[in-house]
Amino acid sequence: MTKLTLTNLTRQYGTAKAIDGINLTVEEGEFLTLLGPSGCGKSTTLSAIAGLDRPTEGSITFGDRILFDSKSDTYLPPEARGFGVVFQSYALWPHLSVEDNVGMSLKLRKIGAAERKKRIAEALELVELGPFAKRYPGELSGGQQQRVALARAIVFRPPLLLLDEPLSNLDAQLRQQARVWLKEIQRELGLTTIYVTHDQDEALAMSDRIVVMRKGKVVQLGTPEQIYAAPEHPFSATFIGNANRIEVNGGNTHASGECVVMLNDGQQVKAITPEPQLSQGQQILTVRTHKISCEPLPDATELAVNFGAESYLGNHYEQVAKVADTALRLTLDKPMPVGPGKIWLRHEDAIVFGPEQ
Amino acid sequence: MADVNAPSFTPTAPPRFSFNRAKAAQWFIFLITAALMLAPALPILLQVFIDRPLYAEGWEFTFANLVELVSSEEIGRIAVTTGVFALFTVIIAEVVGIGAALLIGRTDMPGRKLMGDVLMWPLYLSHLIFALGWVVIYGPSGFFTQFIAQQAGGAPWNLYSIAGMAVVAGISQAPLAYLYCLYGAVRSVDSTLESAARTVGAGPLQVLRTVTLPLMVPSIVTSSALNLVIAVETLSIPLFLARPARIDTLSTFLYGEGISAAEPNHGLVAASSLLLMLLVGSTLFVQRLLLQNGHRYETVKGKGSRPMLLSLGKLRWPMAFFFGTLLFVTVVVPIAGIILRAFTSFLSPLVPLNKVMTLNNFQVLFGSESNLRAITNTVEIALISAALGTILAVAVALVVQRSNFRFGGTLEALAYSPRVVPGLIIGLGVFYAAVILPPMGWLRGNIGIIVVGYVMATLPLALGVVQPAIVQISRDLDRAARTVGADWVNAMRLIMIPLLKPALLGSFILLFVFHLKSYIIAIFLMAPGLEVMGVTMLSLWTNGDVGELAAFATLQIVMVAVLLILARVLFKVKIYD
Ligand SMILES: Nc1ncnc2c1ncn2[C@@H]1O[C@H](COP(=O)(O)OP(=O)(O)O)[C@@H](O)[C@H]1O
Ligand SMILES: [Mg+2]
Repeated sequence: MTKLTLTNLTRQYGTAKAIDGINLTVEEGEFLTLLGPSGCGKSTTLSAIAGLDRPTEGSITFGDRILFDSKSDTYLPPEARGFGVVFQSYALWPHLSVEDNVGMSLKLRKIGAAERKKRIAEALELVELGPFAKRYPGELSGGQQQRVALARAIVFRPPLLLLDEPLSNLDAQLRQQARVWLKEIQRELGLTTIYVTHDQDEALAMSDRIVVMRKGKVVQLGTPEQIYAAPEHPFSATFIGNANRIEVNGGNTHASGECVVMLNDGQQVKAITPEPQLSQGQQILTVRTHKISCEPLPDATELAVNFGAESYLGNHYEQVAKVADTALRLTLDKPMPVGPGKIWLRHEDAIVFGPEQ
Repeated sequence: MADVNAPSFTPTAPPRFSFNRAKAAQWFIFLITAALMLAPALPILLQVFIDRPLYAEGWEFTFANLVELVSSEEIGRIAVTTGVFALFTVIIAEVVGIGAALLIGRTDMPGRKLMGDVLMWPLYLSHLIFALGWVVIYGPSGFFTQFIAQQAGGAPWNLYSIAGMAVVAGISQAPLAYLYCLYGAVRSVDSTLESAARTVGAGPLQVLRTVTLPLMVPSIVTSSALNLVIAVETLSIPLFLARPARIDTLSTFLYGEGISAAEPNHGLVAASSLLLMLLVGSTLFVQRLLLQNGHRYETVKGKGSRPMLLSLGKLRWPMAFFFGTLLFVTVVVPIAGIILRAFTSFLSPLVPLNKVMTLNNFQVLFGSESNLRAITNTVEIALISAALGTILAVAVALVVQRSNFRFGGTLEALAYSPRVVPGLIIGLGVFYAAVILPPMGWLRGNIGIIVVGYVMATLPLALGVVQPAIVQISRDLDRAARTVGADWVNAMRLIMIPLLKPALLGSFILLFVFHLKSYIIAIFLMAPGLEVMGVTMLSLWTNGDVGELAAFATLQIVMVAVLLILARVLFKVKIYD
């Protein structure tokens, strides 16, 4: 088994840490996604794995090969690692034709012309660009360029494929198609893949496992279902589930499960917590926008709110409701009249976390 | 790894490199550059502190040279003269350059495109040619001076003075100020800023004063510093215009002591070289202090956006007339004067032209074996130096900008160090080095020694073309090459160099023109059989062969013009654009 393992990986720029003590294991054949907002250190992590950037601390191993280790001062340059990389900018070489872009890796590996030709043709076939072999990158559309970049990264059959927001430069419709198509190719070739994105839908749709990152640290690691259904951190809940976040007060708890918290205006909310223990004082309540009901539900907390402006988003409305100085976002089929009103929260949809460090 | 569904997609191991080729290449570039930059500088330093010429036997350490330098009243006076001359040169160059940048770049002045082209001429020609043109027309016995004297009964001005030198040097350095201001600010200023100022009611002139001019400050500082350096080290202008009036600048003093004197005082020459380098170095240091951030790769290139034009209104034609006359009198007439002088035996308003027309000057020029040798030598040296210089510049720039070589910063500092070393002294240093350092000794007596001096002196110039071009190429492109198996050397060779082709061609042509017109670096390196055009022209002046010199200058003007036109037509390379 060739596993990729990052141990305590840190990259410092001056005093700022772009990534801070990342620990991660990637299994063979798996599609792993690094998900997080812009600037959280996803690209830095990917560059460290590819060998394009040298971390300041920690180690990276692949199977029994040590790619990087700060203690023994080991550092393999990218060309010795041989991983396929698709850049966000595609980074196609403008002075080379599509086939020369794709064939560069084979030429550098001193593979004979006939064999090279065959493999280039196969790779271009795979990305459905066979007829475009003689074109130059400047003569291709964005979607086609993205596919050339992929062909270039997989033609030498790397043991690991690294993709840095490869779909972010495509328009919305193309992105949907490319997502399906990319996943198909990955499955077909059985490529171990690390995928970077800031788009939660992309991450949920494609990944075997998702790494949620924030400020250079791993916040949560799990399958899409786990990440979505059971966030372990208020950041996972708000970033992936599009949840509201409310500062509340709560008491001590000693096991995960049901609890009660109090809003700043004194209203109480029945909730649950995934954390093994909470201490009395400030806590964080998260509620997904579409889990807030404007009709009575059994076994739900009733809250008095002030409905505000709504916006029409095609298949639903988004409306703001003020409670205890916090503006809650609601996803509704029908907007509520502006002014005082009531909402209902089921306790299993109200998730409480301890204060953030 | 199991192959799923894609049997022919067999994994291929990354290529192996038996030794670290990248590191070896980077060290090689570093050592070559360091040797090239330090070999000429160190012997000069040594010469400052020893009691007799480096090449003499049994020298001993001494401070006598420095003491002589500091206590010499003559050198004090020379330093003051140099300073005054340089200061006025910079003022004239900046006033003309800034004015031209604003008028040509931003207004609707008629004929501005043509005037912009004419203004550039002095940059393509050497100070030597430009000074000659002024002497021929406006010197004490110049054509126009005589004409006025005849009408008014007395010489109207004296070109052989500090003021005269400053005017000639100022006009010939104005293009540099113009280019920096034009591309550094006037063209690249976001015109929305100016539009914004106009929407709140500012008139065109107010906009110029309050928005455009302040944005030009970095360009003005940079071009002033460069012009100051050039004024301090220029030789031919003071040699042609000041020597006859027994005025000396540091460069003419060095030239006199080091070359023309029967027994050169090498200690004093080296010590005053040091003084000159300190002057130049502190100028550039002040410039860096003034522009602490953000202008590292500032060059004459910029965005080619076309901002809105300011209307001059009623002043359109008067301004065009004024500026056109200024250019005609200061640039066109002196150059026309050289060409006219080349085809005449004698130039005076008192003698009708058809009586003195002759091809004799050219016959003399081409009849001399050493002149012919100077021409072929120059072309050969310029070709080799431009090629080697461009190769070295791109190698250095790639190590500095596109590798994680540990001493990249040091390498860059070394590569830019010739900026503080005037050309005359580079030649002197190479000469000393060839005398005392064995490997350099091989170069003595062949053109190699001049090539070394030229490559060193123009490395910053070539870097100025190559480095901004590298910045334009996304880092992802060479990083992508690394991920598909190219080591650093291959990534540079297969990706960066092909993408840099236009910049390399531009650098080559710029260096070639520069070497073609160069006269100063080779002064100390000349030997029988090793003539180059510039130095031969200088000795023609010293010998008083003005007709032959004018013919030679005409030839050089034609060569440079043909080259630039060819570059524009064939390769679409426009230097300084
Ligand atoms: N070369 C650099 N110098 C200084 N800071 C950097 C550099 N590269 C990245 N950073 C910082 O590191 C952090 C992580 O960057 P990056 O990995 O590119 O984020 P992401 O890809 O998640 O958007 C950012 O805060 C960024 O500003
Ligand atoms: Mg990124």
